[in-house]
Amino acid sequence: MIRFLPFVLLASGLAAQTPPDVAMERSGYLAWLKKGPNSPLSAVAQQRIGDGVRLGPAGADIPLAGIEEYRVYPSGGGLVLEGPGGKRPIGRGRPYRIGKYALYLTGSQPGTVLTVFTDGAGKEPPGYYDYDASMVFTGPLLRPENPERVRILASDGMEAEATEVGTVVVPLGGRTSLRVLRIPVAGGDESELEIFFRDGTNGDGSYPAGRFVSLIPAGIGKFRLDFNRARNPFCAYSPVYACPLPWRGNVIAEPVRAGERYSGGGRENPSAGDTAK
Amino acid sequence: MMLELLFQAAVALTATPSPAGPWKAVLDLAGGALPFALQIDARGRVLDGRLCNGRTCQSFSAVRIEGDSVILEIADYAATLKASVRSDSLLGYYHNVGSNGPRTIPFRAARGRWPVSRAPMRLAGRWDATYYQELGTSPRVFDLRNEPGGFQGRIISSTGDYGPYAGTVVGDSFAIGLFDGSFVYLLTGKLVGDTLRGVFHAGLRTQTPWTAVRSTGPPNLKSPTEVSRADTTVPLRFEFPDLQGRLVRNDDPRFRGKVLLVDILGTWCPTCHEATPELLRLYRRYHPRGLEVVGLAFETTGDTAIDGRQVRRYRDKFGVPFPLLLAGLNDNESIAAALPQLQDVTAFPTAVFVGRDGRVRLVYAGFHGLAAGPQHARLVREFETEIEKLLDEKRER
Repeated sequence: MIRFLPFVLLASGLAAQTPPDVAMERSGYLAWLKKGPNSPLSAVAQQRIGDGVRLGPAGADIPLAGIEEYRVYPSGGGLVLEGPGGKRPIGRGRPYRIGKYALYLTGSQPGTVLTVFTDGAGKEPPGYYDYDASMVFTGPLLRPENPERVRILASDGMEAEATEVGTVVVPLGGRTSLRVLRIPVAGGDESELEIFFRDGTNGDGSYPAGRFVSLIPAGIGKFRLDFNRARNPFCAYSPVYACPLPWRGNVIAEPVRAGERYSGGGRENPSAGDTAK
Repeated sequence: MMLELLFQAAVALTATPSPAGPWKAVLDLAGGALPFALQIDARGRVLDGRLCNGRTCQSFSAVRIEGDSVILEIADYAATLKASVRSDSLLGYYHNVGSNGPRTIPFRAARGRWPVSRAPMRLAGRWDATYYQELGTSPRVFDLRNEPGGFQGRIISSTGDYGPYAGTVVGDSFAIGLFDGSFVYLLTGKLVGDTLRGVFHAGLRTQTPWTAVRSTGPPNLKSPTEVSRADTTVPLRFEFPDLQGRLVRNDDPRFRGKVLLVDILGTWCPTCHEATPELLRLYRRYHPRGLEVVGLAFETTGDTAIDGRQVRRYRDKFGVPFPLLLAGLNDNESIAAALPQLQDVTAFPTAVFVGRDGRVRLVYAGFHGLAAGPQHARLVREFETEIEKLLDEKRER
């Protein structure tokens, strides 16, 4: 029988404290949401570049107040930003400033996406539920006989080719089986084992469409699922991001009051009726 | 055992101690500790430092003190190591920001140098490895050896390798890491009978189990000449700016009727640095008979100013006399768009041999440096044989 068993290491008094690794992860994430030049809280527009994108004047693909006309388009093997000052190649991984805006490229051609960010001052990240040690589980992963590739939207709203890696069962809402996908991280050999789940807090404390949480290897054949690390998809921070369709199943029939909360500001009514394959 | 000895020192309670000196450092990944070394130097109040995997080191772009912490920056990767400084330990985290947000990995260090670790002969040598992934298996070759700086390894795939891993050996077990501010890779393994078994760790959480047996026959990987393919029916076309911004084309007079070796490289690629002296040797030897070489640099930013600066530094480091062109970004899609007549160019460097008629004759993926011994010698023979053959071909255009 595949079961996830409660993982209780400390007495309840101490267990209520946020462990240092979770605290460090949260602190880095909150700092990025507040101040990062590509924080999704400050995203104001997003568009696939395709043959080219016009920015600036009213009527442009992406109107930007007070900005003269710029264009981003493919040229040679890369992409070019052309504006009043001339043109220059632009690459991924770093911001390109136009006035108060920063342009970021994500993904490879021909699917490269341009996201425009502005000063995010004044927007506060939604914060977290209090740390709850009873929301940490450890146990095995039930592997599928014939794992498949599936195309999904990852937490950043970008299409990704993921791999079915199996299911875990948690003793929440009775016994709930959760699908796990391996989603590649851009570049190199890295990936994350991800679960996109819904629960009783959706729309009532947490984001309506659901949240992502990573499965963490915890020794041979074992994995740790810590709902205190649950986090919002980027569409919770700004309506410019596509919202991933909820995954088939993965509904926990009780509230999971752990992990990241939701305080409005993203896509308020993300579609929750359909499910991804 | 060595790792367990880290951080058993007393805690300083007063002013921030100087972080200057050598440090034994690790990143704590979900499946184990990735070892690397730090060297921090103080010149008056100015700090600088290096991050090392074995004897392969790179400089930090900035080192500074903030409060009780030392901050080590690697600007190329928007990465930071930040740690509170005790008298003889550092405790903090590695942090870099990608498009999906920050990646944060616990980091710690103790004063001192890693002892030089030597593997028993039964561990050293070449191993044919198999990675076990959800959708099947994937081959690698491990090249494990004792170097003057300690135990090192390379993980070679059909498309090349990321550079030397360095680390420690205890009995028949080893842990070797590669951390350069961007790549976070750890290979742990143990010899059981005549089979190596272990886990390849990428980043904080990715873990891929593997087994390996000693290489005895043909290589576990594809032949370097089978990785990439080319349209050989028409001349290879290219047109890219050089470091002065002038467009250089395949049909420029300097290339017409010549044998051409096109070197697909990146200044970010350590193997390309290893390959360049050999290309210079070939150029000096065969240029008088009609060999031309051109380097197509696929770089990390796409920003001409930044990439151009990197390529100029590369040119000056080696004294490269042939043209180096800014060809685009180092991703598969950019390379495919820039050189549509080549398919599956996934290794850096890749050498493309072009005949006097302008058509591609051979595409050789990757490079085996001097440290690869017999493989290096074979590569040199293959390169020389191909160039000699092409130089002897009748001039057709």
